Amino acid sequence: MQHALSFEQAPPISVPYRFFLTAPLFGVAAGLILAWLGPQAFASRWSPGALALTHLLAAGFMLQVMCGALLQFVAVVAGANIWRPRLVAGIVHPLATLSAVFLATAFLSGRQSLYLFAAGLFAVGAGLFLTVMALALMRTPARGMAIHVLRLALFGLLLTAVLGIALAAILGGRGGALSAWPPLTLLSAHVAWGLAGWALMLLIGVSYLVVPMFQLTPAYPQWLTRLLPLGLLAALILWSLQLLPGAAALQTWQTTGLLAALLLSGLYALATLWLQSRRRRRQTDVSFAFWRMAMYALLVLVASWLLFEAFPRLGQDARAPLWLGLLALPGVFLSVIMGMLYKIMPFLNWLHLQRSAGTTTAPPTMNQMISHRNMHTQMLLHLAALGLLLAGVLWPLWVRPAGIAFSASCLWLEWNLISATRVYLNFRAQGSAQP
Amino acid sequence: MGMPEPRLIDGRGMLPPEPLERAMAALDTLPSGGELVMLLHGEPLPLYAMLDRRGFRYHAVDCADGSRKIHITKP
Repeated sequence: MQHALSFEQAPPISVPYRFFLTAPLFGVAAGLILAWLGPQAFASRWSPGALALTHLLAAGFMLQVMCGALLQFVAVVAGANIWRPRLVAGIVHPLATLSAVFLATAFLSGRQSLYLFAAGLFAVGAGLFLTVMALALMRTPARGMAIHVLRLALFGLLLTAVLGIALAAILGGRGGALSAWPPLTLLSAHVAWGLAGWALMLLIGVSYLVVPMFQLTPAYPQWLTRLLPLGLLAALILWSLQLLPGAAALQTWQTTGLLAALLLSGLYALATLWLQSRRRRRQTDVSFAFWRMAMYALLVLVASWLLFEAFPRLGQDARAPLWLGLLALPGVFLSVIMGMLYKIMPFLNWLHLQRSAGTTTAPPTMNQMISHRNMHTQMLLHLAALGLLLAGVLWPLWVRPAGIAFSASCLWLEWNLISATRVYLNFRAQGSAQP
Repeated sequence: MGMPEPRLIDGRGMLPPEPLERAMAALDTLPSGGELVMLLHGEPLPLYAMLDRRGFRYHAVDCADGSRKIHITKP
């Protein structure tokens, strides 16, 4: 059968794991930089520190996990074949890692050549990744809305990357050809496509598959599975009309797009919480708790944003975008990512060990891969770090403790992922030592 | 003497990979010609790969409630 062949050709475990094990290190670095810079990093979203931290989390932490997970996910769940996964990972991983490091360094140092260097590396890495994923998702035998949403998310990544590379070219002093667009317009589209068109779209597509599967909930209602991605796409197109020449009069359309995206995001969070409340097994695990945390953070984000729109004096405060950014990145996306890593790594361990174990030795069970207590403690630390980060927006006194707590949480996550990898390697070594 | 009754694993209330673990255990003791039936919500691609590797025959049927019934036989 075609499906079965797909798993046989699934990437070796080292393909996703190199991304997963690198990702938390960006969080460790971001926390330490925040603790070092202190309150000046939270002065406004335009501070070099805030821009560096945003990209360490988005282009570093988040992108690493999303790339690694997608390379494996489309093979196992969608039955799609990835072209030469080991080679692709061997090129994309170092390029993604280096470009995120150079970009953050460029923001902190202001050196123009570093922006260009980061943009060049990123263009090659993202270009290869997007081409390989697009081919795999075009040829997949799998059907269903989730696959369409994954395709849309990749389109969102493409636009985010193109706009980001254009902005880096401007910051690097090579943006002459882009003078038709004011940088702020490019930036606004870059942020919208990155947050909603790529990250949220991917989260929605992944939710359709993993929430019912791993949390034993009913499926998302069919009308909602269509409304969310198509509505979000329409909202993003309205928002992007500002890129058209002479678009100053389109302010109303932009506001409509923003409000639609916010309401759809809130609807997605409420639907997920509702499905989770109707799950068939009452027991909860750390992964489930992380998902709940993310959905509550998304609701607080939507409510805050609507409040800022309703009361412009509140929304015009320089700290308002930081509040929203912290709820979005560490609050929504990193919470889901951490919860997913605690599910994906034990599952991939089990799956790959099951394949290599033969019939004599049973591989460790899912629950034996990472200590529950360690995962639980790390989750509490992440929650505390998120609380401190948000407090740091309001009271500068809390910025440095927030950086240290966030760094510690990411370090603990790294340790937990390393211990899962060690369980895999030890069992493999035992298996090969047997006659 | 007729064929033995097929064994049934209803994996719809189980967390992955419990349905796969149970299937592997059941298949280890399945007699030749015996059948295992699994009820699942989705398409178990990893299970198919394992069945192919071990030489089992299988086919899947869509049920009216949206779940899938997978019939596995040992040659």
